[in-house]
Amino acid sequence: MNTSEDPVAVEEPKQQDEPENRDATDGREEPADAESRPDTSSIRRSEIFRRASIWQHPDAAARGLAFPRAYTLALAPQIIHTRSKLLTQLVSSRAYRQVEFLSVGSYFVYNATGVDSDSKLARIPSSREDVFSTQSIPLRSKRSLMKFLKFVVDYEYEEHKPIWEEQAGIPLADFLSTEFKLDEDLQKYILALTLTLDGKVTVKDGLAIIHRHLTSMNLFGPGFCAVYPKWGGSSEIAQVACRAGAVGGGIYMLDTRMEIDEGSKGGEISITLSDGVKIRTRSLISSQKDPVGNGECITRLVAVANSPLKPLFEVTLEGAPTPAVAVVAFPSNSFPGISDSESDTPVYAFVHSSDTGECPVGQSVVYLTTLTTPQAEQRLSAALNTLLNTVPSVDKTPTCLYKLQYEQTVTPREALTSARGGAPVFELPSPNLSLSFNDDPLDIVKAAWKLIMKNDASFEEAEAGYMIFQDREGMGDHDDD
Amino acid sequence: MASSEDSFPVLKVLIIGPSGAGKSALLLRYCDDQFDPESSTATIGIDFKMKKLAVRGKAYRLNIFDTAGQERFRTLSTSYYRGAHAVILVYDITNRKSFLSMERWIDEARSNASPDAVLYLVGSKLDKVASGGRAVSYEEGKAFADAQGAGFCEISSKTRENVRRPFVDVVDRIVQKPELLSSANAPKSSGGSALNLGAASDSVSACAC
Repeated sequence: MNTSEDPVAVEEPKQQDEPENRDATDGREEPADAESRPDTSSIRRSEIFRRASIWQHPDAAARGLAFPRAYTLALAPQIIHTRSKLLTQLVSSRAYRQVEFLSVGSYFVYNATGVDSDSKLARIPSSREDVFSTQSIPLRSKRSLMKFLKFVVDYEYEEHKPIWEEQAGIPLADFLSTEFKLDEDLQKYILALTLTLDGKVTVKDGLAIIHRHLTSMNLFGPGFCAVYPKWGGSSEIAQVACRAGAVGGGIYMLDTRMEIDEGSKGGEISITLSDGVKIRTRSLISSQKDPVGNGECITRLVAVANSPLKPLFEVTLEGAPTPAVAVVAFPSNSFPGISDSESDTPVYAFVHSSDTGECPVGQSVVYLTTLTTPQAEQRLSAALNTLLNTVPSVDKTPTCLYKLQYEQTVTPREALTSARGGAPVFELPSPNLSLSFNDDPLDIVKAAWKLIMKNDASFEEAEAGYMIFQDREGMGDHDDD
Repeated sequence: MASSEDSFPVLKVLIIGPSGAGKSALLLRYCDDQFDPESSTATIGIDFKMKKLAVRGKAYRLNIFDTAGQERFRTLSTSYYRGAHAVILVYDITNRKSFLSMERWIDEARSNASPDAVLYLVGSKLDKVASGGRAVSYEEGKAFADAQGAGFCEISSKTRENVRRPFVDVVDRIVQKPELLSSANAPKSSGGSALNLGAASDSVSACAC
């Protein structure tokens, strides 16, 4: 059997009434009843999420904060580009039928020098037509931009390689300026599309990301290039996978920890669960807990606002679905008053409408992310206030009702393979910090699957059918009244 | 002209309750008219069954979901309850503990399903009354259901007694709630903002070849 020491560690939709004792905390402490249970004293929680704090508006209830169950906050939200292999696997496994996908709509870039809300929050044109029709870009710049966009779509073609290969390692912004004469504003647009946390993406990585962005556009419908699962993002996919496993006869247990027993031998690992049950297994898939020293770390701020922030969710292309997620980029140095000793880094905000099911109608949830630096907190706070004060609002200025802030870091990026009692133990790395799902975890999951299945007589057949399942629908008889 | 079957309003009905209450037996008897007296093991392999049901002259498509054994470890996660129009809670009338767990199951349904969702209580294994097996009276079950604002009946999947009734009653209650029904009339991929990845990916692969 497969189990994980901390099966709900990541992206579990967080309930508001208990953030201080769940995953986002510096959680070495055990639940209160742990002492009465056997052999759990040495079990500890992951510290991938840490330094959590919450804040609530003193007048929150009067201003619209609803009961805790009305909210489903994602701890590590990621948008999913439609070219992602994750979607291919969700479709081939038919698991997509249990997930409601919503579209990610416009990307905006904050411009501190803008004179009105339109120029302060500029929408990045998402298509060729969009580039032509937009008023915010001068004609000359439009030509350079179009030239670049055309290039990116085929950048891997042999004839295009000489343009960038020798500069693969330099910052993308420099390349945009020298090769395509893009002005500073357009550079900011392009960098915003990459969603890179340090704002210093290289040409090689940047082109790959922009390529994915452009080729994802219109793939699953007009006007969007990424999707987001309703009700809290990736946690919904995890739940659907668990359900599929249960229907197939698998067992999963939530909020149950485990410890490997010393007596494991003979190709079997003995495990004691936190409820005292002992089981044996021929392979064990687990997750790494220890953050890598000096590893990449981000600070996240999740805020509930008492406004639908409607202007961010406009349909910009006829026939496109109403977007439920908007992306707002605050480029490096957006807040001159707040400066770190190290160079300033961007802040990204994912704004989720109530269509995501994460908050009541009339409100929205803003997920802000920036690299952890001494000034990260101020940067996030400034970005949130700026956003709420800049989005045009019909009646009142949107107010923040609730805030949850924490850091998220990473374990080493490779899976750890070891053995206990002659049986393999495979430890998955923590999720990457990318704001758009990248496909690396799929390869690691497949490696874990192979580890379990490799001795199976029908391994090759099974591998050919990896993640391919039939629809689980049963048709009964007609029942007429 | 008969309307296309795809245009029937789709109602999502969940069956929940403790292990061994007879949830899958009810589902299989109602949908497939099958009953296996030997089967007492936990359910594997059933996700949901579809059944067309006409109530008051109008046809509906019921998608009836089983717990797939997830109740054993209390791992019916929040996603199971998404979009449910009704929740049928099943207990075993020959097992008092099973009945006593209903309060907790009602709480779970209330906190996870839509506040408008119809709740319906079913006492199962009515056939065992003849052999003196009843441990929960009809009145007690009815009183509890009434107190919770839930519908109620007792059934036997073995003898088929009342097996249709929970579903007919539930649909009847759903159709009296227009706010619940509105979501059933809208196909998942149109109106609203939900996307149909399956349809999109089919057309993508069609283009590719």
